[in-house]
Amino acid sequence: MLHNSLSELYQNSKGTTWQCDLTHRIFLKFGETLTAFKVQDFFAFRRKVNRVNIHEMIFNLSDDYDYELVEDPRHNFSHKLTLCEIVQLRDLLDGTKFSIDMNSMLHEVLGEVELVIQ
Amino acid sequence: MKDLVRLRTSLKEEIEIVLNAQAKMEAEASQKYLAMASWLDRSGYEKTAEYLYKQAEEEREHFLKIFKYITEVGGTALTPTIGDVQQDFVSFKNVFELALQNEIAVTNAINKIVAKCREVNDYATEEFMMWFVKEQREEERNARRALELFELIDESAAGKFTLDKEIAKIGE
Repeated sequence: MLHNSLSELYQNSKGTTWQCDLTHRIFLKFGETLTAFKVQDFFAFRRKVNRVNIHEMIFNLSDDYDYELVEDPRHNFSHKLTLCEIVQLRDLLDGTKFSIDMNSMLHEVLGEVELVIQ
Repeated sequence: MKDLVRLRTSLKEEIEIVLNAQAKMEAEASQKYLAMASWLDRSGYEKTAEYLYKQAEEEREHFLKIFKYITEVGGTALTPTIGDVQQDFVSFKNVFELALQNEIAVTNAINKIVAKCREVNDYATEEFMMWFVKEQREEERNARRALELFELIDESAAGKFTLDKEIAKIGE
């Protein structure tokens, strides 16, 4: 039942995201971690990840800047991520947001139609 | 696939962002007026100080109005961080020059939000913002009137005393 209500939103080499129409959650699989967000929490999490100063991580030679701790305690997401992982996570979150917005836009333009993403 | 965003909120993300920015601007304005009121109070202008204390409260009400609207329509209202505000001023007149500059900046920001609402067909927020459009017309007029009084009354000792009383009467 749950499986039928899942639609894939985006995928990259590090993870996948789905939308669940039954629970109204966005599922994020990043590496081995699976996290479920309400849509507004997903947007807040994306903003948090986008605020990570990756330029500092690139140019600051101190060991402190090799990793960035990305936390969302409410959703059991707590990882020390490398620069590469941050970039991959951002890509995953941005791609997902694009799909969510595109779906919303299609609903607005086309009205009450059933959209099925294959 | 359901439209989860629309199910959650009628607010588009770009409108939520500009409304949060506007809430921050109103909160900053409140702090600025508070700093001005404090300077006026310690400089002996107790009536205009009281006038600006009220302005500070009004700006905070504006901030809360926007803040609550964002949550009312299902958005995420962010508590703004306010940085340092100017605590000292060159002169009595300078306080009101800065107040007018601030009001003009707020009006411009509100106009931009209305334009953005029209761009994305958010007529509910546009209608909500119309209250602020009207309010800003009054705020700008009051700030201009204060500066006009500096043109009419010279800044001698007695003049300053009169200015203090007359500015406090603006908007009554």
